[in-house]
Amino acid sequence: MIEFHHVSKTYGPALRALNDITLAIPKGELVFLAGASGAGKSTLLKLIFRDEEPSAGQILIDGKNISRLPSRGVAALRRRFGLVFQQFKLLAELTVLENVALAAEVIGVAKKASRTQAYHLLRELGLHERYDAKPLTLSAGEQQRVAIARALINDPMLILADEPTGNLDADTAQETMSLLLKARDQGATIVIATHDLGMVDRYGARVISLRRGELVDDLRRAETAGAGA
Amino acid sequence: MTAALSGFVLRRVANSLWQLRWSHLLTAATMAVTLFVFGAFMLLQINLEHLLKGWGEQIQITAYLSKNVGADEMPALLARVQAWPEVERVRSISREQAWSDFQAALGAQSGLLDGLPRDVLPASLEISLKLAHRDSPVVEQLAARLRGEKEFASVEYPQEWVERLGLIVLAVQWAKWSLGGLLFLATFFIVGSAVKLALLARRDEIEIMQLVGASEELIQAPFVLEGMIQGLAGGALSVAMLWGLFALARSEFPTLAGFLAPLVRPQFLDPASIALVLASGWLLGAAGSLFSLRRFIRTWKAAGRAV
Repeated sequence: MIEFHHVSKTYGPALRALNDITLAIPKGELVFLAGASGAGKSTLLKLIFRDEEPSAGQILIDGKNISRLPSRGVAALRRRFGLVFQQFKLLAELTVLENVALAAEVIGVAKKASRTQAYHLLRELGLHERYDAKPLTLSAGEQQRVAIARALINDPMLILADEPTGNLDADTAQETMSLLLKARDQGATIVIATHDLGMVDRYGARVISLRRGELVDDLRRAETAGAGA
Repeated sequence: MTAALSGFVLRRVANSLWQLRWSHLLTAATMAVTLFVFGAFMLLQINLEHLLKGWGEQIQITAYLSKNVGADEMPALLARVQAWPEVERVRSISREQAWSDFQAALGAQSGLLDGLPRDVLPASLEISLKLAHRDSPVVEQLAARLRGEKEFASVEYPQEWVERLGLIVLAVQWAKWSLGGLLFLATFFIVGSAVKLALLARRDEIEIMQLVGASEELIQAPFVLEGMIQGLAGGALSVAMLWGLFALARSEFPTLAGFLAPLVRPQFLDPASIALVLASGWLLGAAGSLFSLRRFIRTWKAAGRAV
């Protein structure tokens, strides 16, 4: 369970990125954060994975206040998360397999075990034949699948995705969404920031709308057929 | 840190050493130059001290006898001086012996002595001191005591030269620490800059490691380890360069040292000094890396990254 209690985030005296946000996201829920560029979606995600600290208010994850965690605590928190970004954030000099295994290796999984695990995940995502390729030789959709494999390797309780389909064509975007929904079906909470209202309509579920840092809408809708695609 | 994490750190270090090999080599070479200068002063100091010790061993007091001391008094005088606790050995030089020694020393020029009476040089005692009593205060005291004895007309010893050499050793020691210290400081910042470059080159990697939950120690450990390896490599290189310098100096030593050559056998750094050079390199690398890492992380945090 993620809880925001009157959370605000300001950058300097003039820029208020989020203003007095209060919300709760139960375990296993699929949530879209919708809004135009600059609405505060990415800031809200960054506050959850503690890339940023709130200027005011409290953020609780499973009842624990993460607003003022020491660096050791931040690292421990992130190990329970899977992060997916629009720009993929893959390391160009590592192979596909090494990129996926990296997330397991940094938390102490042995090299062989982490690579075996990574290979199984890549096979599930249909990328096992490209395991030895460098990310830049892959298509955008393939790169995003590698990033999702990396996000999934440690069985995260929460997946945070910032515009995960922003660089993808419609088919690849749908494929990416299917992978994320599959993770949700296995028990993970999924929070997706997007400005693509078409996608929000297509998948339904809960939509939290932000505008200029304010929470303007929080709608729970039944998931549509698109979710199963 | 578990075995798996240690393996991960070592793999990252090996990758970095290979990928940024020229940068690492340059940093190690810079450290080698600093450690070479420091080690060269150390080498000079060790050899000057050795020379001083060797010279000290040669120190003897020459006490010239008054003209009124007869040959029959010599055995008693010899026994009396020999009984002093500081004295190791006393050798009596008669007037005749002094004359023939002087003649021999003049060699081809000995004709200069023609016409002079053979007893023109005074008889003397050459007094060698025990090792524990070769410090200058003891030598001075003993010389003063000899001057107080009525049998001796004058007393000589090479104290001034010993003191001068002692001052040179002290100056070398000061130069080693002051110049060495300055170079260490400069190298410390050079190492820091090299680490900063490595951090910038691997910024994406660091960011991704942070995002997937790597601890701060895990992110920092490879950089510190690389600094230590660079330092040790620089130290080893400097010892090799010092050995080269030493070998060159040793072959040229008889020419360079002139009359001092027989007094001293050139010495290379002893194992403790070599260990000091290597440890200094290791520490320089580790401290430079840590300093740069801390600063980098601070500025990165200030720029909005949570490390």
